[in-house]
Amino acid sequence: MLIWFLPLFLIFLMIGLPVVFGLLAAPGLLLWLNGQERDITLLYRNVYNGMDSFPLMAIPFFMLAGELMNRGGITMRLVEFAQALMGHFRGGLAHVNILSSMLFAGLSGSAVADTSALGSMLIPAMEKQGYSRRFAAAITAASSVIGPIIPPSGIMIIYAYVMGESVAALFLAGIVPGILVGVGLMLMVKVMADKYDFPIASAKTTWGERGQASLKAFFPLMTPVIILGGILVGIFTPTEAAAVAVAYALFIGFFVLRTLKVSELPDILGRAGITSAVVLLLVGAAMAFKTVVSLSYAPQIMADFMLSLSNNPLILLLLINLLLFVVGMFLDAGPAIIILGPILGPIFVDLGVDPIHFAIIMSVNLTVGLATPPMGLVLFVASSVSGERVERIAKAILPFLAVEIFVIFLITYVPAISMTIPRLTGFVE
Amino acid sequence: MSALLAVLAPFRIVNEAVFKLGRGIGVICVAAMVVAILIQVFYRYVLNNALPWPDEAARFAMLWMTGLMAPTAFRRGGFVAIDMVVRMLPQKVGALLSLFLLFVMLLVLVISVQIGWSEVTGFGGKFATASLYVPLDLSFTEWFRVPRSWMMASLLVGIIMMISANIELILRSVISLLGGADTLPEIPGAENVGAE
Repeated sequence: MLIWFLPLFLIFLMIGLPVVFGLLAAPGLLLWLNGQERDITLLYRNVYNGMDSFPLMAIPFFMLAGELMNRGGITMRLVEFAQALMGHFRGGLAHVNILSSMLFAGLSGSAVADTSALGSMLIPAMEKQGYSRRFAAAITAASSVIGPIIPPSGIMIIYAYVMGESVAALFLAGIVPGILVGVGLMLMVKVMADKYDFPIASAKTTWGERGQASLKAFFPLMTPVIILGGILVGIFTPTEAAAVAVAYALFIGFFVLRTLKVSELPDILGRAGITSAVVLLLVGAAMAFKTVVSLSYAPQIMADFMLSLSNNPLILLLLINLLLFVVGMFLDAGPAIIILGPILGPIFVDLGVDPIHFAIIMSVNLTVGLATPPMGLVLFVASSVSGERVERIAKAILPFLAVEIFVIFLITYVPAISMTIPRLTGFVE
Repeated sequence: MSALLAVLAPFRIVNEAVFKLGRGIGVICVAAMVVAILIQVFYRYVLNNALPWPDEAARFAMLWMTGLMAPTAFRRGGFVAIDMVVRMLPQKVGALLSLFLLFVMLLVLVISVQIGWSEVTGFGGKFATASLYVPLDLSFTEWFRVPRSWMMASLLVGIIMMISANIELILRSVISLLGGADTLPEIPGAENVGAE
């Protein structure tokens, strides 16, 4: 009986109930029908206990740091830096867009923040140079998924929290896959640029000009070094590193660039707070949902089913990628990870897949799902930033999605891509 | 219709004011979290003295931030949902479905508030927090150990605020279903709030 919570949840979701409420209403209703009213109290408790977590606090901090850097004009400096390096190529601004996303990914852990920060700046600039608006929006959305893959990453904090993995190991494992997505997208842009004769953004810069742009971008570019370095050396926990990133962003904004005003702070804190509150409530609800998942024996049933299809991990990984991709089309990465992680993770770990490797497969796949039609969150953000219709962006993004799908397969079948850095640094045995 | 608008007005005014206050306190909570964790880092690595309270104090602030700020997102329509079906249906039917969904949310919230109340006032809330104290007088000689219920109340308060927002949204939905959509005052700040 209880196993029906999953289809019921999907029905609630499809007819438009907000995900948070679906996560509580579906299991709650079935527990009630099952005569397990006492367990409904358990649901409530798990929402609360799910939110009451020190590791999760990194999420509001990273959101705040991203917001501060954006308001403080740091995003602009990153774009200028990227322009100095790549602006002279054919399709220059498209390359700049991708490189900026990769740099921005080191400051923020969110694809949505990436799309809105870079999109509002680069989409109009690209249009002015003669790119179509849908292409500009599509490349912004496609490259923004690098945000949660290159550390820091909100999604990986959530994964580590739910599955009891090390945040540091996940952060490190995301570096190469994130760069790979960026390089893949650049190659695709290059192919398209030659074929469709894309404009060149700027004349080739001299080394002096490049040096100047690097100097201006130096302080922002140090952020990932401080965050990752601090975690690696063992000075900070990820949550503390996130708080230090906030302090660092404040320091740059007020004292180095002097672009922030004290009067702007309440608004910045408020925006970061509201967005984080939504995410935390969602994590809490998903943690409650997860308890019902285990009460219902869904993981065992799922495992039996999957192993009846095949016991070859390579084939199962292919199937799981398909499943995750479809899920990612409809569900945001955060909730999808909390719901599916505990069901799928153990199956693959039993089959010999390293838990960190599996975490990266799942995170990257679901993150790419943020940019897939029909329900990709960043498509909607790109649409509201650019004024282009979602359907048109969804069509223009297809070549880039193909690249990202290819990278997912690379990551899946070449574990070294994700595992080398965590192994070398001793975060994974 | 005018009767409905008259019922809506107090909800709108009260929600507007209370949620604004909530956001204000929420902003202070966010700032407090950052300060607490920075103090923790500073004491541990610079002064070599691990403090007991910043961890719990920061979680306290984070829970209140969530309780006080999530209702604003809810009221502004910032909770992630798939609105494809509602938009595909004929307008009237879609509006009816939205109304139904609001009632499902109300049901979830009302059940939650009952459980939440018994949790806060019940056994679990009576335990003290591990390390949080507040002074009882200005000379800081007497200290009171904060009970866990003060922390647990954050979610309860958030749910109560969301119920109030939910009723406002139901009234708005009924009014627009009856054809009065353009008489509705706008909810300020309604925008995309994502939760990837």
